[in-house]
Amino acid sequence: MISDITIGQYYKGDSFVHKMDARIKIIITVLFIVMIFMCKNFLSLLLTAVILVAAIAVSKVPFRMFFKSLKPIVPIVLFTAVINIFYIGGGKELLSLGFITVTSKGVFTAVFMAIRIVLLIMSSSILTYTTVPTMLTDAIEKLLSPLKVFHIQVHTLAMMMTLALRFIPTLIDETERIMNAQKARGADFENGSIAERAKALVPVLIPLFVSAFRRAYELAFAMNCRCYTGGEDRTRMKQMKLKASDFAALSVFVAGTVGVVLINKFFGVVI
Amino acid sequence: MSISILETKNLTHIYSKGTTSQVDAIRDISLKIEKGELVGIIGHTGSGKSTLIQHFNGLLKGTSGTVLLDGRDIWEDKSKIRNVRFRVGICFQYPEYQLFEETVYKDIAFGPTNMRLDEKEIDRRVRNVIKFVGLDESYLEKSPFDLSGGEKRRVAIAGVMAMEPDVLILDEPCAGLDPRGRDTVLSLIRDYRSSTGSTVLVVSHSMEDISKIATRVLVMNESRLAYYDTVDGVFSHSEELKKMGLNIPVLTSLFLRLKEKGYNVRTDIYTAEKACDELLSLLKGGSVE
Amino acid sequence: MKNYIEFDGVCFAYEEDNEIPAAENVIENMSLKIEKGDFVAVLGHNGCGKSTLAKLCNAILVPQQGKVYIDGIDTADEERIYDIRQRVGMVFQNPDNQIVATVVEDDVAFGPENLGVEPAEIRKRVDEALRDVGMYDFRFFEPHKLSGGQKQRVAIAGIIAMKPDCIVLDEPTAMLDPRGRREVMDTVKRLNEEYGITVIFITHYMDEAVRANRVIVMDKGKILLDGAPKEVFVNTDTLKDIGLDIPEATELTHLLIGKGIDLPEDILDIDELYSHIIRLTEEKN
Repeated sequence: MISDITIGQYYKGDSFVHKMDARIKIIITVLFIVMIFMCKNFLSLLLTAVILVAAIAVSKVPFRMFFKSLKPIVPIVLFTAVINIFYIGGGKELLSLGFITVTSKGVFTAVFMAIRIVLLIMSSSILTYTTVPTMLTDAIEKLLSPLKVFHIQVHTLAMMMTLALRFIPTLIDETERIMNAQKARGADFENGSIAERAKALVPVLIPLFVSAFRRAYELAFAMNCRCYTGGEDRTRMKQMKLKASDFAALSVFVAGTVGVVLINKFFGVVI
Repeated sequence: MSISILETKNLTHIYSKGTTSQVDAIRDISLKIEKGELVGIIGHTGSGKSTLIQHFNGLLKGTSGTVLLDGRDIWEDKSKIRNVRFRVGICFQYPEYQLFEETVYKDIAFGPTNMRLDEKEIDRRVRNVIKFVGLDESYLEKSPFDLSGGEKRRVAIAGVMAMEPDVLILDEPCAGLDPRGRDTVLSLIRDYRSSTGSTVLVVSHSMEDISKIATRVLVMNESRLAYYDTVDGVFSHSEELKKMGLNIPVLTSLFLRLKEKGYNVRTDIYTAEKACDELLSLLKGGSVE
Repeated sequence: MKNYIEFDGVCFAYEEDNEIPAAENVIENMSLKIEKGDFVAVLGHNGCGKSTLAKLCNAILVPQQGKVYIDGIDTADEERIYDIRQRVGMVFQNPDNQIVATVVEDDVAFGPENLGVEPAEIRKRVDEALRDVGMYDFRFFEPHKLSGGQKQRVAIAGIIAMKPDCIVLDEPTAMLDPRGRREVMDTVKRLNEEYGITVIFITHYMDEAVRANRVIVMDKGKILLDGAPKEVFVNTDTLKDIGLDIPEATELTHLLIGKGIDLPEDILDIDELYSHIIRLTEEKN
């Protein structure tokens, strides 16, 4: 069922990671992604993996949740791995079939890249599993607020994200309803050529757009009635306060990054 | 013996644990719907009535049990399921949100076109059905998006009627309409049945509406079939219905209370006129036991 | 008692709209006074101008002729538009299209946040408002996982967290099942009784209108009937003429009176009619 998809997949909890300031979590996630790409050998990659596993353990979000988030990207991981195996040359020749040669360096790179992608997805999953979507958009708003200098409407941007998160499940339900209604009138979404199938979606997309516009109009109205005037002079119920523990967490990751740099330096670059 | 057009045998639809699907389960439903009946389907939200009707045209397939249309399993040949949908037409809640074509004509023709009827037949059906829902032919060239709420509703219902299904199912056809709009739609449904002889199923929360138009009532409660009986038969279970969170028609409740008090009155009363006659005979000539 | 809302010779027409031809007044020379703390139901079929009336109450629309005053403030005064909107909250028909946030409590906080209320005070108001509508246990829920009636109660909580004097509800029950309708009506009724919040409740359900203190029936932009429910529903013929329902008990009572049965003509509910019938049969014997 398509309605099973949850966007902003928050996993309720009360752990240290859940309580961390969302801004720090975003910064840490970005830092961690940088770390992943700085890794140049297996030892540094091992270090990042250990840090990630530790973070997951602290978050108390079960590991199966992370495997679930990995499932959709398995094809991508496999695809990049295959590409790497066949296209990266160098090292020992392991297998040669006509024009295809598999080299040790190729296999090595493939495994390395696969681990990187997995780590990447898992790290961003911790962020979304442990942070309420509204906190996430609030944090993004705060972090991007320096951009106001360039007359970028940061608040508007964040509000758009919140509303998108709010309405995605509603519109998914609506899509399902409209599809059922058109199927009941004999619409066929499953058979036929690609062109036919694309055409079959017209009776779904038009009502969906009409409805989305109607919703947007009514919502704007309702927001107006609740005295919404944009970001100026707004207060927030949930205040974001940086705690000492947030900085402690950040320093662990900074130390990790330094560790990666050092490992790269002393144990050689393999990739 | 009358022929049952729609039949279910031990129909069950259970969702695997962990899914957050919004569809409610149904359990072990066996029933026979006779040709030409006007069946009112009632039950509170989440009782399974929406799930049940989606099995009748194969939008959902039971996890076990069967659905028979004219005595034949609708899933006998999976590739023919679309034909089942033409024979069992469902008009969902707020059907005006499915309108999509540039003109009312094209929108009503959507179903018949999918049936691959020839143009002449489609034209006949469109013109026939627009008159039937009480709008004149000038509406056919209008954009459905320019109509009023009540008109959109009627056009959407016409779009399902144009398939001329043997069984027409309407899910909350009066939801959100004002009293005048509601009366128009109700009489439309009644006329459709009497003029075509089709079987009609109507899902509704309004016991008053159901009691006025239905010949039989189907009650769903907690995924199971609670009753399938005549209108009088069902509403005589007032206590049980209340426990299911359902009301009985206000007028009927008056007569049930009088009867309980020992007065000799009929209880199969759903309209003010009938109620008036019954009370007159009680107050003027009737006897008190 | 003091008039909280006052319409003085109000005319309103939509400028350009494809549904309603321009220059036709949707509200026609309307004068109306609503007292503080009253519970007013507004009845009328679609297109009679009742939604326009609602929107005139919180300065979403401003009359072309005449004046609307809220708590003495002229709605045409653009400087005070947010004073008016804070005082008069609106709840709309479709519960989905008025909830802004992805978590219930954040949505309730939205209004006070816009007003610039202090964070600690917002927290207090949000918790209170959620308790008042009976949705406190659902404060961490995602709105799309709630039933229609629950969503509407969240919307109401979002309004009362702004500490309004008045709530205007524009067909809040039209899309709900009977249980949801009851939940919403009970909630609004309680807010009116306990906190003295003025309520304007637009509906086509007679059973809801009967629970108001005052019923206004509109037709073609004008007030056709205005009074206590018992005074209004006596006019069965007028109501039927404009395509409205009358309570079943009232309709039956009027049929019986027509046949010469001695009944008071302002019976509204079936319990009342029942006891009269018992009385009549006992008198007969």
